[in-house]
Amino acid sequence: MIRFPVLPASIWQRELAELVQRPRALAVKMLFPLAVAVPLLHSSAPGFYAAMALTMLLSTMAPLGAGAVLARERASGLLLRYRLLPAPPGRVGMERVLAGAGVDLLQVAPVLTMIMVGGRGEAAWWPGLWLGAAATLVAGNALGALVSTVTRSPGEVMLIVLLPVLPALYLAGVFTPFTSPLMQAVTRLFPFAYLHEALVGALGGAATVTPGQAAAGAALHLLVALVLARLAGYRLVEAS
Amino acid sequence: MIGLRRGSGAAPSGRRPASPPTGFDPSSGATVPLRAEGVVRRHRSGRGIFDLDLSVTGGEVVSVLGPNGSGKTTLLRVLGTVDPAQAGSIAWFGRRERRDPAVRRALGVVLDGTAHFEAMTGYQNAWFFARRFGLDEVRARERLNRLFAWSGLAEAVHRPVEEYSLGMRRRLALVQALCHRPRLLLLDEPTLGLDWAGSVDLIEMLRRLARGGAGVVVATNDVHLAERLGGRVVFLDRGRAVRQGTVAELLAEVAGRQRVELDLRAPVPLRGLGAQPGVEAVGVAGTTVRLLLAGKADPVRVLRGLDGHAHLLAGLRVERPHLGDAFFRLTGRPLEGGGEP
Repeated sequence: MIRFPVLPASIWQRELAELVQRPRALAVKMLFPLAVAVPLLHSSAPGFYAAMALTMLLSTMAPLGAGAVLARERASGLLLRYRLLPAPPGRVGMERVLAGAGVDLLQVAPVLTMIMVGGRGEAAWWPGLWLGAAATLVAGNALGALVSTVTRSPGEVMLIVLLPVLPALYLAGVFTPFTSPLMQAVTRLFPFAYLHEALVGALGGAATVTPGQAAAGAALHLLVALVLARLAGYRLVEAS
Repeated sequence: MIGLRRGSGAAPSGRRPASPPTGFDPSSGATVPLRAEGVVRRHRSGRGIFDLDLSVTGGEVVSVLGPNGSGKTTLLRVLGTVDPAQAGSIAWFGRRERRDPAVRRALGVVLDGTAHFEAMTGYQNAWFFARRFGLDEVRARERLNRLFAWSGLAEAVHRPVEEYSLGMRRRLALVQALCHRPRLLLLDEPTLGLDWAGSVDLIEMLRRLARGGAGVVVATNDVHLAERLGGRVVFLDRGRAVRQGTVAELLAEVAGRQRVELDLRAPVPLRGLGAQPGVEAVGVAGTTVRLLLAGKADPVRVLRGLDGHAHLLAGLRVERPHLGDAFFRLTGRPLEGGGEP
């Protein structure tokens, strides 16, 4: 008897079905963050620098991956199929963006779990860690979706999508913490600032915010990222 | 046997039913499925569709015939709610908002592309769209089992789409477009990639859908498909609907004439041919010259118009004219292989 492994009824289930049916791609996808995180966490890197590397990993993989995949889906005509679904385009597009972010979160879940289990920081950082990761991945997928609408190929997406991300990492204080009040305020505008703080704290470093502030800031950014995902999703589905 | 993890619905069998499933609600044809007035959509290249009027009633089959580049796909995309019209108005079942989920639920659209989720099986692909178009699990399973059996894909339902041929992909697109029982079906070049038997099946299916009350719009440059579908034909030329009528009406316009095709070894000047008595239209596609001759004209005498290029003649065919010749007579451009320069 031949069994259908998954019968997808939603975009999220469809993403998952496609993922599990490509075992090699799934293995690479899961191993990639671990290949960065495992040596880093077992080295003697100070908390701030380990956190910086992991923040860069999460904040670049989401827009790069989403942008490339969505550019390919646009070129093949799959996004056109989404456009014709009987549902508001913003909702369909948001579902697609969140499905991508969900898969990314699954991808980094082992790394986050390793930090929780093996980190030298307090458990109080864990909510900020997960919320910050979620906010970063949703915002990154929304950015990737937007960039995919103005580019012609996955390769072009990969070039363009990093242009806003790299300066944003600097402005978020990921490379060096800022001391001026103005720059500290600017820092809080970026979702990965709170992820970075939570990572620093969870890895036993000296964070500039409390665990509660990190969790609250990350939660707020997650809400904003969800709104962005809806706007980007609309554009994703409706762009010709 | 093929089993499904969820529920207990019957699986598609390899047996192909004699007729495709339809099952429309008879009341569904109460409103006009499609009414388009003065529709314009212009591309940056200057091509597109211009000031186009088209209405489709329930149970009607309309073939939009035109050469490559005439605007058929643009028209289908606009009528299929993919792209907005830049001017004019379109009403689907009386509703004017193209993003209205009720409108999209009533439409079945197959565009020229064959985009599917490659790593998923044909059944998974179709299941996704069936569920997204509002079918519950029981109805989705029942509809898909019947459609897969009808489509000839029953043996391939569990294979990833990346292993499908072009014809199989198009059949899968048809399954997906039909699974929610659309009341208006819009198909772009539906016979592309289908073999003869598949085309015959498709024509029969479209007729049955129309008999069930659905409106059907087919964009094609396959004159034989349009003739066999019957119904109404719209000639589209350079983005404008230049003529419409029933198949019989349009064929009557070229009745008694002769369609002559000359296969040449190299291009020749056409002026001499066009000046021959009895030649009503002359056109060229590559090294094939098409002539439409008045009933009494002698094709062999017309060859005098080759003006010393007769040695380049590789073949000559005289045939009964078809819808393409009605288009040719009207526009001076051949329908097949004679796209816009």
